[in-house]
Amino acid sequence: MHRTAAFLSLASIAALGAVSACGTSTSGGSSSSGGGGLSGCHGTITVATDLPLTGGDSTDGPFPQLGAQLAVTQANSNHVLGGCTLNYVSKDDSSVAKNGHDPAQGAANITSLAADQSVVGVVGPFNSSVAEAEIPVASQNHLALISPSNTNPCLTTNQAVPASTCGITTSSLYPGPHTYFRVIGTDLTQGEILAYIAAKQLNMTKAYVFDDQEAYGAGLATIFKQHFASDGGTVVGSASLPGSTTDFSTQIANAQSSGAQVIFFGGTSGNGCGLVRRDEGKAGLTLPFLGGDGCQDQKFITDSNSGSNTSEAEGAEATSAPDATKLSSAQAFYSAYSTAYSSKSAPYNDGKNEPYTPFGYDAMNILIQAIKSVLLSNGGQPPSSTMTFRDDVVQALHSTNYSGAVGQTSFDSNGDTTNPFFTLYKVSSGNWTGVNAYQVDSSGNVSVKS
Amino acid sequence: MTQESVGVGPTQPLGEAPAPSPRRERKAALLVAPEGLIARHRGSGVMARTAVPAFRTTYGFISHNFPAIIMIGILASVLGVLAQGGPTLMGNQMRNALVLGAIYALIAIGYTMVYGIIELINFAHGDVFTLSGFYAFLIADHFGINKLAASSGFGLLVALVVIFAVSMLLAGITGVLIERVAYRRLRDAPRLAPLITAIGVSFLIEGFMLAFFGPDNVTTHQASWINGNAFTLGAVAVRWTDLFVLGMALVLMFALGAFVTRTRLGKAMRSTAQDRQAALICGININRTIATTFFIGSALAAAGAIIYSINYGSLKWNLGFHVGIIAFTAAVLGGIGNIVGAGIGGFLIGMIYVFGGSLAGGAWSESLIFAILVLILTFRPVGLFGVDVASRS
Repeated sequence: MHRTAAFLSLASIAALGAVSACGTSTSGGSSSSGGGGLSGCHGTITVATDLPLTGGDSTDGPFPQLGAQLAVTQANSNHVLGGCTLNYVSKDDSSVAKNGHDPAQGAANITSLAADQSVVGVVGPFNSSVAEAEIPVASQNHLALISPSNTNPCLTTNQAVPASTCGITTSSLYPGPHTYFRVIGTDLTQGEILAYIAAKQLNMTKAYVFDDQEAYGAGLATIFKQHFASDGGTVVGSASLPGSTTDFSTQIANAQSSGAQVIFFGGTSGNGCGLVRRDEGKAGLTLPFLGGDGCQDQKFITDSNSGSNTSEAEGAEATSAPDATKLSSAQAFYSAYSTAYSSKSAPYNDGKNEPYTPFGYDAMNILIQAIKSVLLSNGGQPPSSTMTFRDDVVQALHSTNYSGAVGQTSFDSNGDTTNPFFTLYKVSSGNWTGVNAYQVDSSGNVSVKS
Repeated sequence: MTQESVGVGPTQPLGEAPAPSPRRERKAALLVAPEGLIARHRGSGVMARTAVPAFRTTYGFISHNFPAIIMIGILASVLGVLAQGGPTLMGNQMRNALVLGAIYALIAIGYTMVYGIIELINFAHGDVFTLSGFYAFLIADHFGINKLAASSGFGLLVALVVIFAVSMLLAGITGVLIERVAYRRLRDAPRLAPLITAIGVSFLIEGFMLAFFGPDNVTTHQASWINGNAFTLGAVAVRWTDLFVLGMALVLMFALGAFVTRTRLGKAMRSTAQDRQAALICGININRTIATTFFIGSALAAAGAIIYSINYGSLKWNLGFHVGIIAFTAAVLGGIGNIVGAGIGGFLIGMIYVFGGSLAGGAWSESLIFAILVLILTFRPVGLFGVDVASRS
């Protein structure tokens, strides 16, 4: 006992030096309890993130990664797991070949994490295409995956969308127990909201739909088309183009000829979202432009404005992750982030520069809470078998009820959050500005979230 | 002329069996395909003997009429677009096709010139294109050229001349350096060796650009002087950029044509392309001629890149691979080694890309291009305009 006490005081001195762990108690819910009956807990438990950190995704992935890392740092300095310490591993699923997120790299990362007997859970991945490659590996190894940002509905269910539009079936994703969770709403919600905005808010009846051929982009476009039609609109044309496309003027001419009133892009700005807007301007079209969360970034604005009209991005709209910067529940997180990472270069020194930052933080906190409840129910010690430990963590995640930075999160039986909502952003004076948050109720009605 | 200055040529005995003249080797490689197939069938029994004539006739028909088939295909897709969206859509797409085609043509010429003279598919060429775009971007940004261009009409002219001249010079030097370092020593090595170094150089340049300019599109500040529509044809707006791209490409291509046919150096290039050993005997400095070819090819790629930047307003580190491989198809379509063919091939590929994409959906644009590549190599390896091998220049 003496040894434990000495260790604890040493650890707390070290923690005080590293990060002044302010604000944890408010955003961390029950995490402030300081370990409860876990003071006798021994050992190191590894949690990891797998996110794209380099290449084309270097302005996306590092934010949820830093958010998740902050959660671990805070948990350790607050002794959330009592005498046990959390070891944190960060994996990058980018590859040079893909210049960004690479499903093959992601699968390799999860394989190596699963082989590490101390790893009990992973926060990630960022991209749905990477998730398709990672889930089977994680599921086979009973390893919990909590994504801060995957919005492809096919990852958790094939029932809500026509299975034919899913690039993958859930039965092939889960050879083992269902181990995948996400803290963000899916494209089912997002596409429905986008169609509602196009048809009911902008009052448009004809849409031309682009997608970037990836699981995320093609999926969102399909869902948008379905709901736009059921909201009374007509899809007058569509184009599915690879991410390497640099010239969209052929399709813009088709859109113009088809009498489209609104241009929709399902995909990421790395795959040409901004370039479509640029070519729209080049052709002299002034149609409203609507995209999903993949378009809502600085890259979109830069690319849109690179053509003949240097303010082409103005007025373009995109739904994206709920704008947590205005949520009262997230304020403590943002200030803790700024304190912890004040020495980072811009934009990484401010968590508000990327919408998924608090989702990475919440995902990691949810994982830590699940580990904690496993430890508590196991007499204050980690289960001796890795597989048992991992299975117990997955079980605990299913009964999550966590009040975090982005609100109250629990998971349904598929692993989807019960807290899905998206914010509509509009480019104004060269910046994305939040307009309204939209939520979908259980009977499928879209409304503005107050 | 010293022994060193004429390169390694004279040390090799002429006409020795294991090292046939490169020209004859190519001619064989390009023209022998049908004969080779026949020979194999003949050896394989009675069944084949009856099957071969039918195969030969079909093959011969398609091969012989390949240019007509391609032209009919393009014409049909243009008419298809006309039926799809009327003259406005057809006009808009024609404008898009010509602009895209002009850029592909300028790059394709670089591929074809290098192939014509040393039979190397210079895979680094697409990346030289991107790199020289970045040269132009840096020059324009760092030496007050943009300000000069905005000051007056005369300033604009001076700025354009400076940007084109300096970027083309730098790109030319880059091309010559690549040839000197990565290809010259391998000129008489098995063909696979320089091909591999070409791919290596390509990755090297891409990595360099990724490190220096980052992974995203780099905005090249599309010049404001060129904004707006020049005129409208019905409902089709023709922009100043379109005219600039097309005009500049044509001027450069005709200038190159004049250079190759009218100057001593051009004559040297043509003779080196026809028969390197014979050219050497006639006292042509082979190394200098090949270096000149790389210089001109790369300079044209630089012009293409400046035109690209002005038209699209952005550059990306890996753009060259994508644009390059399509331009390469244009060069093959026109008959690889044939400069005029590459120019025309560029415009044809632009038409196939745009009209095919408009009709079949954009997802098919690139599949169509590469299907064409496969078809050419199968049925007409010499390309649309490469039949007369002797007059290829």
